Order: sequence, then structure tokens, then C-alpha cells
Amino acid sequence: MKKKVTGWEKYLTEEIGIEFKACLYFFAILFFYSVYRVACGSLEASIIHMTEMIFLTYAMGYVQVYFLSNFDEGDKLGIREWLYLTGCSLVYGAVSYLGNWFDKNIWVSLGYVLFMMFTYVCAFWVYKMKRNIDERILNEDLKAFQERRNLTDESDRDS
Amino acid sequence: MKYTLERIIQGEDEVIVRYQTMTPEIQRICNFLDNGQKKIIGNAEDRQVILERNQILYIESVDGRTYAYTEEEVLRLEQTLSQLELLLQEINFFRCSKSMIMNIDKVKALKSLSSNRIDATMCNGEHILISRTYASDFRKRLKGDGTL
Repeated sequence: MKKKVTGWEKYLTEEIGIEFKACLYFFAILFFYSVYRVACGSLEASIIHMTEMIFLTYAMGYVQVYFLSNFDEGDKLGIREWLYLTGCSLVYGAVSYLGNWFDKNIWVSLGYVLFMMFTYVCAFWVYKMKRNIDERILNEDLKAFQERRNLTDESDRDS
Repeated sequence: MKYTLERIIQGEDEVIVRYQTMTPEIQRICNFLDNGQKKIIGNAEDRQVILERNQILYIESVDGRTYAYTEEEVLRLEQTLSQLELLLQEINFFRCSKSMIMNIDKVKALKSLSSNRIDATMCNGEHILISRTYASDFRKRLKGDGTL
């Protein structure tokens, strides 16, 4: 008898997905932040800023998954998805400005918003490519399964 | 060929075929008996239908009742989904959700969806969603690793 998936296991699966998402976007933000710091002539980064970044990406992960239809893993980038994407990017921009990540430089903050939008689009396409590959493998496995079944049926009829 | 019928008071119904050589006639009798085991009785509005397993696209449980979907019609079954899961212990029947068993032989195409779900397009154009809970076992079944 197969063991049923428990509520805890279902929650854990979702949680792991959100944490993966948080890490993905955290590293994207860290990249932009590091480039900015180096461009400003500094080789140092603020731990406070990085802490804010990881908590923000974690919170945004929950928002995306539970309230925004997990739009970056969606089938298409329609109007709704673009609205969500833009909204989330603006939230990132607002927090970065209020948190003084980019020294309250409005142009850098706007550039950061555009960067986050670009990151979301890239994430969408990467997930979509992954699903396309998975789909090809699934259909190949389906065809092989049905061919194996046909061979088995034919040998049953012959015997 | 002669045949004998023997009525019993108790015990399971049983057919014994005694033969010296397997002739086409005896083979036809055996095929008939074999096929009888594969059939399921379905109820339409005004009649009963004997369903071959390979006619079934999927079986769904709705409001405590079980229905078998073929390409032509929908038939109500007497068994529960759990009973059918035990009855249809064949590699091509797969429990794809809490309320559905699908016939993999009748799947035309698969589409990978977000959150590790799978959309199965059946040969009649209907779509069945395999949730993430069942998707992993479904992949194993396709690869031939699935247990029944």
C-alpha cells in the first residue's frame, strides 16, 4: 500500500520551492549590489543590507507563490503576469531605496527596478525551457510505454 | 465435444477444460473465459453495458459515485474507486488524483506545467491534470519503474 503524502510533506515541498526562489533572486540582487559597490570604488558590502535582501526575497517568494499565481513559473507572460512582475520589481526598488542600498540614488534605484524586471523575465524563460525539455522527455517516455504495451499485447495474443 | 454441467451447493464457480490437444475451438473457449475477467459492468440510463478495459479512458469519482468515461459515453460503475484500483491492477491504469484513475494507453500527449504538475491530453481531446503529488509516480510508471 502506497504511503499517502502528508500535509507536512506537501508544505515542505512548497517551502523548499520558495527557499530556492529566494536564493535565486537574492544572488541576482547581490550581483547588482556588488557591481554598484565596486563601481563606487568600494570592495566592502553591508551585512545589514544583505540580511535585508535575503529576508525580502524570502517574503517576496511567499507573496509570489501564494498570492501572485507563481507568475515566474507560469505558462505565459500575459498582461497579468507583466503587472505582477512590475509590481514586485517596484517593491524591490522601494525597499532598496528606503534601506539605502544604493545611497538613495534615484537613478541607480530605477536601474535596479529594471534589472529586477529583467531577472524575472530571465527566470520565466529558464523555467519555461526546463518545462519544454521535461515535456519532450515525458512524451518520449509515453511513446515508449505505449509501444512496450503494444508489444506485450501482441505476444499475449500470439501465445 | 461433449460438455458436462455440475451444480454445486457451495464453493467458488469454476470452469475446468479438459483436452488432449489445444484446438482452435478450445482456444476460443479459453479466450472467451479470459476476456470475461477483463470486463466491467457499467450502467447507462436505461441499460447495462459490458465494458472492455481497453475502452475506458478514465474513471472518476464524483459525489460518492464512480463513473467510467469511454470515447462514446459515460457509465456509472457499482464499484468504488478504491475497489477499481485493486481490480484494475494493470500497468496502464494509474491513480492520477484522489478522485481519478486514468488509462495511460489512451493518453495522446503530455504537457509539463508549473509546480511539477502534468497535463495529459486524452485521445478524445479531454485534459486530465496530474497533480504534483502523483506526478512523480507517474513519471516512474512511464519509465517502467512504477509499482502497482
